[in-house]
Amino acid sequence: MECLIDLDEIELKVKSNPRYLAVIRALAVCAAEQVGFDSQNVEDLKLAIDEACSNVIRHAYKGETDKDIRVKFISRDGWFHVIVEDSGVKATPGCLRERSLDELCVGGLGLHFMKKAFQVIKFDDTNTTGNRLILSRKLKDQGQCTDNTGNGDE
Amino acid sequence: MEIELGNYKGTSVIVLSGEIDMYTSPKLREKLLHLVKKEATPVIVDLSKVTYIDSSGIATFVESFKRMKSYEGKLQLVSIPDRVMNIFNFSKLDKVFEMYGSVEDALGE
Repeated sequence: MECLIDLDEIELKVKSNPRYLAVIRALAVCAAEQVGFDSQNVEDLKLAIDEACSNVIRHAYKGETDKDIRVKFISRDGWFHVIVEDSGVKATPGCLRERSLDELCVGGLGLHFMKKAFQVIKFDDTNTTGNRLILSRKLKDQGQCTDNTGNGDE
Repeated sequence: MEIELGNYKGTSVIVLSGEIDMYTSPKLREKLLHLVKKEATPVIVDLSKVTYIDSSGIATFVESFKRMKSYEGKLQLVSIPDRVMNIFNFSKLDKVFEMYGSVEDALGE
């Protein structure tokens, strides 16, 4: 059974207050479940999207809580895309930093979580202001897919 | 996230419930650093009711752990749910933190 479904574009706009990260996570879970990701992948995607939005608050908006964050969820052509947009400080190429997992540091884990959940991570820097981060994952590469009957067939 | 501060046979125990993220972790940081300032050891953190943790939550534990090392203090994490444990494992922090099944296990009872 085909359990992957096309998802119309869903867009969420929230203020850059960390209190809304829970709202973003809730919608991320709904969107990922709608397109058929299994529970472990849903958890990975939720964490990665949370990290991307936390980075916006921390780096693009420098902790300001009254700016806009837009998160779009799109399922198209076999891919699940999540687009995170802000109008904050423009990131410089290569600005995403990750530490070695063998280092005991306070920061730098977020990118590891994003890479674990998504196969493609790219900054679309065509806009002159703000940032547009595109996170993409193939729908077919997800883990076991289950239908309502519990057969688990795709 | 809710934080309960307790004491088990003279040992500081922090019981957390809910989600630890960028919004809630400053509250946890404040509690942990308060204990660090008092050079409390061991500090036991019960995670059994934690449903989610992100990198800011992990960073909070790493910071406290590093500060506690200055006075040879111990930070012990207990009753870690699988979903949270997966994140510690992926971060390779399962090899850094002391982790136990229960408060009693942490205290060697």
